[in-house]
Amino acid sequence: MITAGIDMGAKIIKVLLIKDGEVLVKTQEVAGFEPLEAAEKAFDNAVSQAGVTREDIKYIFATGAGRSAVPFANDTITEVSASAKGVLFSHPSVRTVIEVGAEEGRAVKCDENGKVQDFAINEKCAAGAGSFTEAMSRALEVPLEEFGKISLTSEKSIPMNAQCAVFAESEVVSLVHAKTPKADIAKAVHDAIASRIVSMVRRVGINKDVALVGGVSRNPGFVDSLNRGLEVEVIVPKDAEYVGALGAALVAGERGKK
Amino acid sequence: MAIYKTEPLKSWNKAKELRQKYYMDYQEAHKNGGIRYTGGAWAFDAIPAGLGHDVYNITGEPYAASIAFDHKFSEECMEATEAKGWARDLCSYMRNYWGSMYLNKYAFGGEYPKPDFCFQDHICCSHAKWYQHVAEYKNLPYFCIDVSVGPYNELDENRLMFLVNQMHESIEWLEKVTGRKYQDELLIEAVENECRSTSTWAEVCMLNMAKPAPLDEKSMYSLYVHGTLSKHSKEVADFYEELRDEMKYRVDNQIAAIPDERCRLMSDTQPPWGFLKVFRYLEKFGAISIGSLYTFGLIGVWETKPDGTWGPRTTPMQKGEKITTRDQALRILADWNLSKPEWQHFYDPNLKSDMMLQIVKQWGLNGVMLHLNSGCEGLTCGIMENRLGIAKTGVPVMTFEGNMGDEREFDEKRVMARIDSFMETLNLQKLKS
Amino acid sequence: MFSKFFDWYENRHDYAKDWIKKTGGEVVGCFCSYAPEEIIYSFGLLPHRMLGSHEPQDVTEPHIFGMFCPFCRDVLAQGLKGRYDYMKGIMLSQSCLHLRQSFTSWRNHVPVDYAHYLYMPAKVQTEHARPYLKGELEKFTKSLEEWTGKTITDDQLKESIDLHNENRRLMHEVYDLRKGPNPPVTGLEAMVMVASSFFVDKKDHNAELKRILPELKSRSLDRETGARLMIVGSEDDDTEFVKMVESVGATIVTDDHCTGSRYFWNEVELKNGDLLQDIADRYIDRPACPSKDWEERTRFPHVLKLAKDFNVDGAILIQQKFCDPHECDIPMLKKYLEDNGYKSLFLEFDVTVPLGQFRIRTEAFLEMIGEEDLF
Repeated sequence: MITAGIDMGAKIIKVLLIKDGEVLVKTQEVAGFEPLEAAEKAFDNAVSQAGVTREDIKYIFATGAGRSAVPFANDTITEVSASAKGVLFSHPSVRTVIEVGAEEGRAVKCDENGKVQDFAINEKCAAGAGSFTEAMSRALEVPLEEFGKISLTSEKSIPMNAQCAVFAESEVVSLVHAKTPKADIAKAVHDAIASRIVSMVRRVGINKDVALVGGVSRNPGFVDSLNRGLEVEVIVPKDAEYVGALGAALVAGERGKK
Repeated sequence: MAIYKTEPLKSWNKAKELRQKYYMDYQEAHKNGGIRYTGGAWAFDAIPAGLGHDVYNITGEPYAASIAFDHKFSEECMEATEAKGWARDLCSYMRNYWGSMYLNKYAFGGEYPKPDFCFQDHICCSHAKWYQHVAEYKNLPYFCIDVSVGPYNELDENRLMFLVNQMHESIEWLEKVTGRKYQDELLIEAVENECRSTSTWAEVCMLNMAKPAPLDEKSMYSLYVHGTLSKHSKEVADFYEELRDEMKYRVDNQIAAIPDERCRLMSDTQPPWGFLKVFRYLEKFGAISIGSLYTFGLIGVWETKPDGTWGPRTTPMQKGEKITTRDQALRILADWNLSKPEWQHFYDPNLKSDMMLQIVKQWGLNGVMLHLNSGCEGLTCGIMENRLGIAKTGVPVMTFEGNMGDEREFDEKRVMARIDSFMETLNLQKLKS
Repeated sequence: MFSKFFDWYENRHDYAKDWIKKTGGEVVGCFCSYAPEEIIYSFGLLPHRMLGSHEPQDVTEPHIFGMFCPFCRDVLAQGLKGRYDYMKGIMLSQSCLHLRQSFTSWRNHVPVDYAHYLYMPAKVQTEHARPYLKGELEKFTKSLEEWTGKTITDDQLKESIDLHNENRRLMHEVYDLRKGPNPPVTGLEAMVMVASSFFVDKKDHNAELKRILPELKSRSLDRETGARLMIVGSEDDDTEFVKMVESVGATIVTDDHCTGSRYFWNEVELKNGDLLQDIADRYIDRPACPSKDWEERTRFPHVLKLAKDFNVDGAILIQQKFCDPHECDIPMLKKYLEDNGYKSLFLEFDVTVPLGQFRIRTEAFLEMIGEEDLF
């Protein structure tokens, strides 16, 4: 049985097909202004790359922010459930899934089947972790890829307001004025953001193993700060951006069996 | 296919009329030489009732909730309050109310009717400060009774007397500022009515233990509100008895609030008044909020029965007690109010978690939705400990952020997305329509 | 000259642990300046008012909703992180909703042997609050008797009252020196002097105050006084901020903070023939926290009197983010001060503050109040 998962992210749309528990193909398209067209395109590409027809696909599940807008999906599941399912497929020992994207951070506590037991989503005051990192790297005139790396070279620990991005930003400005080295500022930013995420994870509990997915998982500076804050080495799954689509395809497969 | 039959509430129109009359009476109080005053929904309005049958009040919280319901007017009010330099994170009821006062606009048409005095009680940091400012802005006499003497299970004579003494003091003050002679028999009548209305409201809530539930929380909001307007009045006490009888009829005839009840939830704290559609959204999953400690216990007065269950508090009249003196009436009024469920968590979140878990058990619930209401520090006091206390027992619990009175603080899309996730953890999918 | 106070302030835990070792007594953590320390101390216990550490932390989100003030979370974090593992008792004297959550969460999650919630009245402006509070103090005393197995005599309580009154008098003497044209004490030193008194045995604190006072009277600081400012508002032991203000041409000469003058302003007067009633009256009559300042606003004339007595040029109004009681005062207080000829600068504080931006605002404020002199 072939099933498909479509992750309708705000920026990128991902499609993944699985057959009897094996991943067949992964495709993605930029969402742009016509996310539905992009979804169609990604899906068509996936179907043709897998060498199958649309009729071969038994169930299609959509997830992500725009999930309800996919007319050819049979059903939808939320990102919360999809991520947990997707991560446990490759890392069955994981019980806590942390997802940090541009705007939202989530922590999910799940059981051995990837079923969600409890979840926390960042409160509004602590929103925008990913966007904030980007904005700060721009403010320091350091490319985002570098921003993560240079932060690893800092030995200093500068306390920065952990709760509110607006306050934190003013503190960054103060540090720039005080001629603080960029590496130290980068580390302070990552520590501050990681601290907000750790706060949120504590609401569901830090149950091992812990996985990190979402765009910010590719930032080594952030991952380092998060590991220190959690006092746990997080697992960053390969192809972390596809876990949502994978989770959706897996749930579609379960539905197909019923 | 609907599982249960539903039918509209017969009491609905009566509820609406009573509410309209209340706001109208206040507006027109001066026409016939009556008195009007303002204060909070928890103020001891049975006390000014002793000044005569022509004394009308307006309670700030439900008034401000009415403003919040009107998105445009609420925004004007908020902006007027912010323009005076007040912080955006203050009580959003207070900000709506002040805004209406600054703009000199009554939510029900016309000018903000200037009260003759302010009469308030104080348990949350903002209560006394709210009317302190109304009094200074409108140049009014002001009296506020401090009720923060600890939880009911620790009540003793010293604590009770602090309230009773202040109540006696308030009567002397009322006589002074109004020039009227105080009538104890009117106080006694009002105290009896208050005990009757608040205990009967608890009876109404008890009937929601039935499956299917005869009332959903969204409808309850329009009914419990009378207790927040005029809990001491005969009209409200009588109305709640009629409502209770209708609930009995609905329970006996299996008339449901929603046709597809298959999951029973409770909420917590005031809802985001401008977004009651949250509750309608639950219905798509066959889920119903059957109430909350807030709708049950903000006005309803309860007690733990000998078998450990929760039920309406037995009134002094039901016990055969006859109230004959001012002091006796005030002691009863103080004791009665101090046992209010929504006053307990101000001292200890564990007391609230216990009550919430009792509701979960007794009302047969599947989960809890906590509204992290940034508009009210009073009812969110300890709410994260409540989350921990409930989660510890294995009862599914979710939180969503919002604000009862400031819609700018409510992110509809994200809240609905959270509900979707919560429904998934409860294994509920949307019903096919 | 103030190095001992700085040492106590910075090493509060070491002091407390040493004190336990030296006296065999226990430390009682207090959550608010309304804690009746005289009673606690008379049992041979050390009252210790808990403050935050001004470090970002990630441990309180499961316990206190984010709309409550950063200070109450910072305080709780100290307990959750185990920094008070030597402390066996805690007590709350009821004031705001924020701080009481630090108390209840502490009691729920940090191991302690003793936790007492004192239902301090909010309406201190009624005479009925006096006998009521006395009754609550009796219950508090009784609970301490049960915990410690001790009973206290009137003489012991009287001795404790005298010691605390002496501390208040001595700190007043230091404050009085700030009224003159060239204060021999900086705002930073005064802040740390008061804050250290929260942690230290008043015997030690008094001895140190008595040691420095004679020298202090003739002390001349090698700095310009500049503009004379007062700080007014929420809990505030932000020494970094005060340092910054005093580095840009100003001196803080007085304050109305619960971590400053409000804490020690009035004494216990022995006038009722009943020591507990005397103590109750002291806490009823002290300069009020805004959460207790109603129906009348008694704080405003008090703040104005401070402004006049200390000859200030302007005020910085400091508010912990989300501090509702102060948020309910500040706009009216600002207006009141302005109507009385005092300009003010409003700043919102968090656990850490953006010093660079606050410096710019402070400098602009100083320029503004400086210009007034030209006309």
